[in-house]
Amino acid sequence: MKRLQLQRWSSSALSSRARTDGRLQRQLCSSKRFQSTDATPVQPASEQLAEQQSFPSTTIRRPVRVSKYKLPSPPVQAAHESAKLAALHARLYLPSRLPLETLARCLINPSADRNPQFNNSSFSVLGHDLLTNYATEHLICTYPRLPLSVVFATLYAYVGPKTLAAMAREWGVEHAALPGGEVDPGLLQYKRVDPGTDLSTEPLVGTTRPNEDQKHWRKSINSSVVYDNEFGDPDLAGVPPSELQPEQAQNTKPVTMEQASADFVRSVMGAIYLHAGRAAAKRFFEQHILSRHLDISSLFNFSEPTRDLVRLCARENYEPPVAKIISETGRRSRTPVFVVGIFSGKDKLGEGAGASLPEARARAAVAALKGWYLYSPVEVRVPSTMEEEGAAPWKPVYVDLGEVVS
Amino acid sequence: MATFITVSRRPIMGMPFGIPFLLPSYEPVSLESRRNQSSYRRTKQRLRIKPDASFGLSSDKSHSHIVYNPPSSSPSVYHTPTKFLPANDARRSLRADNYANAPAVEELPSVFKSEAEKKYHLTPSDVTEIRKLRLNDPMTWSRGKLAKRFDCSPLFIAQVCQTSPQKKEIQKQVLEAVQSRWGAKRRMAREDRKLRKESWGRDE
Repeated sequence: MKRLQLQRWSSSALSSRARTDGRLQRQLCSSKRFQSTDATPVQPASEQLAEQQSFPSTTIRRPVRVSKYKLPSPPVQAAHESAKLAALHARLYLPSRLPLETLARCLINPSADRNPQFNNSSFSVLGHDLLTNYATEHLICTYPRLPLSVVFATLYAYVGPKTLAAMAREWGVEHAALPGGEVDPGLLQYKRVDPGTDLSTEPLVGTTRPNEDQKHWRKSINSSVVYDNEFGDPDLAGVPPSELQPEQAQNTKPVTMEQASADFVRSVMGAIYLHAGRAAAKRFFEQHILSRHLDISSLFNFSEPTRDLVRLCARENYEPPVAKIISETGRRSRTPVFVVGIFSGKDKLGEGAGASLPEARARAAVAALKGWYLYSPVEVRVPSTMEEEGAAPWKPVYVDLGEVVS
Repeated sequence: MATFITVSRRPIMGMPFGIPFLLPSYEPVSLESRRNQSSYRRTKQRLRIKPDASFGLSSDKSHSHIVYNPPSSSPSVYHTPTKFLPANDARRSLRADNYANAPAVEELPSVFKSEAEKKYHLTPSDVTEIRKLRLNDPMTWSRGKLAKRFDCSPLFIAQVCQTSPQKKEIQKQVLEAVQSRWGAKRRMAREDRKLRKESWGRDE
């Protein structure tokens, strides 16, 4: 049986307008190259251009006649032609004082375009500081007794890179396969790390901690306040651009998608602060960061809860805690349940249920310790409210002695 | 928090007729169609018990209230105990009248069978003797023996002195010999027990 030649049949059956090999098809074929996110194939020219774009000569970059294929990132004028960018602006309900050009600049990572006038590095530094500042003051004023390790974990959960990357994904920000001047400015542009690269192999050097090469030295949680960053991780000492080696400045290290997305969210925060002011930035923070649910009580891990509770009661001059059985069922059965309460004097500090008396007692002690650490004042006021016009005089907030050391 | 109301089985006709949707429909059981105990209807009848008292109507029979009958659960950790509130917190005065109906702590049974009374009877000279004995002859004077002799707990002996490194090494070998006889089941059960104990601190 002979095969039906679909192509010829359809071309004769269909009207000329619907034929696929018409002018439309040819146009699509030719415009495919424009849609590609590949950088320009003319490599020597782009390298030459890159040399011209080193830091000193940033003032007169991008003359009008330069082809967009030779640019490392989309030109500024392209921001108004991108539907993606306008949609993102509208979707995030960004203030109208934040122009599309700035939003387009927020999407350009330093690994794509190393010129600081066209990438988001300055915005992301500002946005990172704002985010961590607002998150820290909210956390410390809301839960003044939290232990430091929980503060670090909570900050990481609120404004850590993983959360910010998840936010960028939820906002619908897509990333370009390769950065370039012809790419839609609504796409996140960065140079990707090669697949299969192990990021944890090389040791971290140049941190702010002294004796960083001593791996076996004990790192106390209090030293993290001084030496480490806001998440308790090693902090890289910053090098001012004037002291950078020229080849160091030329090399753009590829980044992961998580880093690039987090930098984008931070830079949006910084851009809102610069264009729309402090109140808009605060509102953006409350709507996008604080609105995320986080159960802080699940971040605790006690190894010796009963001992810690005894120490706490001794420190605060309470009566020593006593464990009492409130109720029980099935003591002689396979699945007993004991409800144990821990009392200090006449007051109940915590209550826990377990399948054995030691378990119920330990859980009750954990509940009591969490009750202590998760104390929250009735009215929370953060220091940044003083920046508003006509703010009431500042009253000192409750700050605790610190965590129980045992 | 935990209130236990014993639900008594009452004859069906004695039910209050205020909440028709909760009431069981009465079905007369004819004597000739009696079947064995496990019949479907009998099982279902057994399960028809009077609803909890807190579900019922208040005395004035008005329907203007919300039934709030939460399942028994552990209290929220975000509810700070009154003792842990700072002195100037407003919640202290608000909760003051809740103390009246709290159960008496003294009447509740203790978790431990016997409360160890702390005696504080050992003097510094006793402690030096404990240390001397344990240092000179660690094989004879173990923690348990010293505790029995000085009438204190083995934990106190461990707090005031350490055994010699040779004794530690021997004890470690003994433990290894014992553990080498464990089979897969016992080893796994011990590991599981340790993991379960760690999960108490995470409140899982």
